[in-house]
Amino acid sequence: MMNFDLSVPHVLFLIFWCSMHDSELAEKMSKKGKNSSRSAKLKRPITDTQAEEDEKFACFSEETSHVDEDSDLSDSEESVFSGLEDSGSDSDEESFPELKLELDSGEGSSREDEPDGSSGGEGEKVKKDLKKSKKKLQPKSQTLSLKKVANEEKEGENGNLEPHSKTAQQPISVPKDEYEQDTSDEEDIRNTVGNIPMEWYKDYPHIGYDLNGKKIFKPIRNKDELDEFLDKMESPDYWRTVHDKVIGSDIKLTDEQVQLVHRLQKGQFGDVNFNQYEPAVDFFTHETMIHPVTNRPEDKRSFIPSLIEKEKVSKLVHAIKMGWIKPRRPKETAPQYYDLWAKEDSSAILGRHKMHVPAPKMKLPGHEESYNPPPEYLFSEEEKLAWEQQEPEERKLKFIPQKFSSLRTVPGFSRFIQDRFERCLDLYLCPRQRKMRVNVDPEDLIPKLPKPKDLQPFPTTLSLVYRGHTNLVRCISMSPSGQWLASGCDDCTVKLWEVSTARCLKTIKVEGAVKSIAWNPNPAFSLLAFSVEQSVILLNPFLGDKIVSNATDLLISSYVEPEEEKSQSVKWVSSEGEEFNQGFRITIRHPKHVKQVTWHGKGDYFASVLLDNGNMQVLIHQLSKRRSQCPFNKAKGLVQCVSFHPLRPFFFVATQRYVRVYNLIKQELTKKLVASCKWISSMDIHPGGDNIICGSYDSKLTWFDLDLSTKPYKVLRHHKKALRGVAFHKHYPLFASSSDDGSIIVCHGMVYNDLLQNPLIVPVKVLKGHEITRDLGVLDVLFHPTQPWVFSSGADSTIRLYT
Amino acid sequence: MAQVQARFFTKNKRYSVDDIPFSIPASSQTQDLSNVINKLLESKKDDHQHVEFDFLIREQFLRMSLGKHIETENISTEDVLEIEYIEKSIAPQPEECMMHDDWVSAVDATADWILSGSYDKTARIWTSEGKAVMTIGGHLDVVKDVAWVQRDGSTSLLLLSASMDQTAVLWEWNSEKRKVKALHCCRGHSGSVESIAVDSSRTKFCSGSWDRMLKVWSAVPSEEEDVAEEVSSSRSKKQKTEQCGLTRTPLMTLSGHNEAVSSVLWSDTQEVCSASWDHTIKVWDVETGSLKSTLTGSKVFNCISYSPLCRRLASGSVDRHIRLWDTRSKDGSLVQLSLTSHTGWVTAVKWSPTHPQQLVSGSLDNVVKLWDTRSCKAPLYDMSAHDDKVLCVDWTEQGLLLSGGADNKLYAFRYLSPPSDDGA
Repeated sequence: MMNFDLSVPHVLFLIFWCSMHDSELAEKMSKKGKNSSRSAKLKRPITDTQAEEDEKFACFSEETSHVDEDSDLSDSEESVFSGLEDSGSDSDEESFPELKLELDSGEGSSREDEPDGSSGGEGEKVKKDLKKSKKKLQPKSQTLSLKKVANEEKEGENGNLEPHSKTAQQPISVPKDEYEQDTSDEEDIRNTVGNIPMEWYKDYPHIGYDLNGKKIFKPIRNKDELDEFLDKMESPDYWRTVHDKVIGSDIKLTDEQVQLVHRLQKGQFGDVNFNQYEPAVDFFTHETMIHPVTNRPEDKRSFIPSLIEKEKVSKLVHAIKMGWIKPRRPKETAPQYYDLWAKEDSSAILGRHKMHVPAPKMKLPGHEESYNPPPEYLFSEEEKLAWEQQEPEERKLKFIPQKFSSLRTVPGFSRFIQDRFERCLDLYLCPRQRKMRVNVDPEDLIPKLPKPKDLQPFPTTLSLVYRGHTNLVRCISMSPSGQWLASGCDDCTVKLWEVSTARCLKTIKVEGAVKSIAWNPNPAFSLLAFSVEQSVILLNPFLGDKIVSNATDLLISSYVEPEEEKSQSVKWVSSEGEEFNQGFRITIRHPKHVKQVTWHGKGDYFASVLLDNGNMQVLIHQLSKRRSQCPFNKAKGLVQCVSFHPLRPFFFVATQRYVRVYNLIKQELTKKLVASCKWISSMDIHPGGDNIICGSYDSKLTWFDLDLSTKPYKVLRHHKKALRGVAFHKHYPLFASSSDDGSIIVCHGMVYNDLLQNPLIVPVKVLKGHEITRDLGVLDVLFHPTQPWVFSSGADSTIRLYT
Repeated sequence: MAQVQARFFTKNKRYSVDDIPFSIPASSQTQDLSNVINKLLESKKDDHQHVEFDFLIREQFLRMSLGKHIETENISTEDVLEIEYIEKSIAPQPEECMMHDDWVSAVDATADWILSGSYDKTARIWTSEGKAVMTIGGHLDVVKDVAWVQRDGSTSLLLLSASMDQTAVLWEWNSEKRKVKALHCCRGHSGSVESIAVDSSRTKFCSGSWDRMLKVWSAVPSEEEDVAEEVSSSRSKKQKTEQCGLTRTPLMTLSGHNEAVSSVLWSDTQEVCSASWDHTIKVWDVETGSLKSTLTGSKVFNCISYSPLCRRLASGSVDRHIRLWDTRSKDGSLVQLSLTSHTGWVTAVKWSPTHPQQLVSGSLDNVVKLWDTRSCKAPLYDMSAHDDKVLCVDWTEQGLLLSGGADNKLYAFRYLSPPSDDGA
């Protein structure tokens, strides 16, 4: 410290040292100052800015000093400061040395005994002066620097800053004027008009007033364009000349000012020496210091209860007393638990758990894995041998338990990698999700059908056996009244039975086996049609009402041959003589064997099916006109059976696999039903006319709903052998099928009037009784027209009635 | 339960014993009880002849061991059991077998004569001893039913036969001269006449037919011929008319059945019951010709019989049951009792004319059964003489049981029903 020359930087250093308490920084600064030029003039602006900067740092201490000036510490500080400023403010260098001497002593004492604050009277006096001058100076330099920047940016015109800086120093040089101190620091002291637009003075010869109230006159001759141009051309300092509007004259910027402008233009800091990246100084360090930051004693108010607080507290107390403030609810210390899954659906959780498959766990190590297992875990020789002979997959243990004397002797696990790999495989290949298995009770899949018990009446027991035939009874037919039964047999007879007593009333001998028999469904006729070999015979059985029988006879005999004989493929022959007395009325001779004969519901038309695969397979006969016609020109397969629609003019033709529905009036094919069977054997139409059942030789019964589809609505496979006959009941919701397995299966077949409801089909009864003869069982089945009774004719030459 | 406390009583004074309760082994059968009673009677009277007894507990015949009966009938064993005993009826004794040429379809017997109808289109008259007296031919078809109009008295008797040829013929038969003469041919039905019944005044008869009609005719012979409604004059018809006497037309036609009428009878002087295949029994008022009530069953009715003694109607139907009805219950199908033992259609049923609780039935299972309504589970006696279907039964006041069947035989059994309880 003592080595330092007495120069301005040194003084500056002192200031820094005092204010910053940082010797290191100060040292650096001083070195810098040493290197810089000796010219105080050049240094001035820098010191100014430096001082300004320093002051910012030291603002705390300065403030405190302002608050109570009595404090010794601040006093000593102040003295140093003011002395420095004073010297700085002095523009002449000569005064520096003596001042410095003075300062040196003061500084040294202040540095050494700061708390003491002892200083000479002379020093005190200087101090005061200095303080005042410093206070004045500081803002001025500040405004100057600010102004500089403003000038640079705002005013493009050249203005000379030189006079400005000179004027700035002017008031400082007059320290006697006490009132000057009170004037606002901000005010421009060169011109007292204030911060007004200078245009207001453009019509006056002066531009404002100086501090002494004297007019500041504009330059006598204003520079015109030419002057300007000449200046520009000739004056070497034109570029640094700035017009100062306030005083209305040009100012020539000094080198320093130009430099400063350049620096500012570059965005650099005004002061060359300023290092903006200086290390931060942590005044209020986190470390606990032994000394307080300030030595200030605690305030008295810290020890006195606060009146305002008291007032507030009393207010609160009053409010609590009045019940305006509710005391805070005591915080519940007990932790509140609740069931996170309480609201969750238990089944969902269950389901989730069910779905979850935990990763397979490794077996915990057992005794055998110990390095020193109990002797019972060690393998004997046989066990070892067995282990070695086992397949690796079959081994219960993957290793042979071994015994070691100590843990040290245990060798490395040779199977480690393999073991880990297998474990990884286990984890990788284990199922992550349980397979969804639908647990369905097979019982639930069965449609809910009513119990047969609830579907009564239906035939259940064998009641009567009609004996008398000696061969296969191929066909049976009921009289419309239900009193008589006609049967056709291979023993070349047709028998007529009384239903109620199983009494054979008549036996009619014919020339051949009777293939088909059909009672005229019209109660006004007493006619029985049956097919014998190549002919269809119409017979009057003379049963039932005599009047009806006679009327039928009359009708048949009343036929008059038409004049022109139409050539027909069949021949109508009236019976005479003995045959007539037997009841034969008409014989229709066909070219081929007749397989089936069936009546139309009105009883005038009947159809016959020929056995041959020719074109003429189906013939429709009209009784009243004795006319026959072949409705189909081309055969579309082997016709098995035909049937008339009970109500509408439809005609059903069953071939081996299809049932075709023809409209007799339009003469066209209406529908073609595909029976899912190989060979249709029999067919019956529901009395409503919209449902058909077909029996087939491959032991299936197919139910067609004409409104539903051309495919079977249902296929029943109850029989074990070929079906021979199927029949609907006329009134009861029953249908029956007869089969070669000797059984008749009666089903409940409810057809609803409601079109939306599908027919209900429930098998209700298996009727047995017929013996299987020559591999043939029940050949025909038929319902009683009014009672829930079923007739069946079998190969055992009996007809049976089940009721 | 080894012992049962029982007290015996009877309505027949001849066999009464002291009114003392006895302790009887529960396993004892009818035979054992009968022996007990006989022992008691012997101790009472020295000249007592051994009599077989039958026992009734609460109006039900004892047909098994006492203990079992109590169990099945749910009778309390706390009280003393009241057991009634009656003289056991002797099993029907076969008497005669009357051979026919064809199935016997109907039988009606009086005290002296038996009238039977057959499928050979004739009706036959036999003496009650079973001697053929007369064959009445004339019908063109099977005779389905026969009936006496005049049951006794004079030598010339009136009788009726109904046939499948849709007529019923009223014959006059002179038992002295052994000559029969067709008085009236009742025409009107358009189906076979299945059943005829003569009313109690013997002046009217009713016929039921397959054409669903019931017709009421006069049974009084007259000289006049009713005007035949039909004008159709076929040759065969003329012949028929000549053969069978004067044509008679019905007094009344009762229509209402939907199916064939299988059986008719008079339950009162002006009341006709008819059973039909339409599962109903209808009761008609003949005076007004209106339907009185309908008893609805679930099966076809083949036959009915009415007992004025117990005022009950017995019906035989195709479901093998004999059902007892109360005709007075209005429009209710109140079945009082079902007698079930037959295995085939019940074709004939007949109440005893003297006993209010006994009836006889014939069935297609070839068996004739004698029933007592107090034992509905099992019949009193089975008479399995027939080889084929039984088609008709009858029961005379003289205790003659007659049954005809499809084996062309008409069997007669002598059965002395014990005097009914009321009479004793």
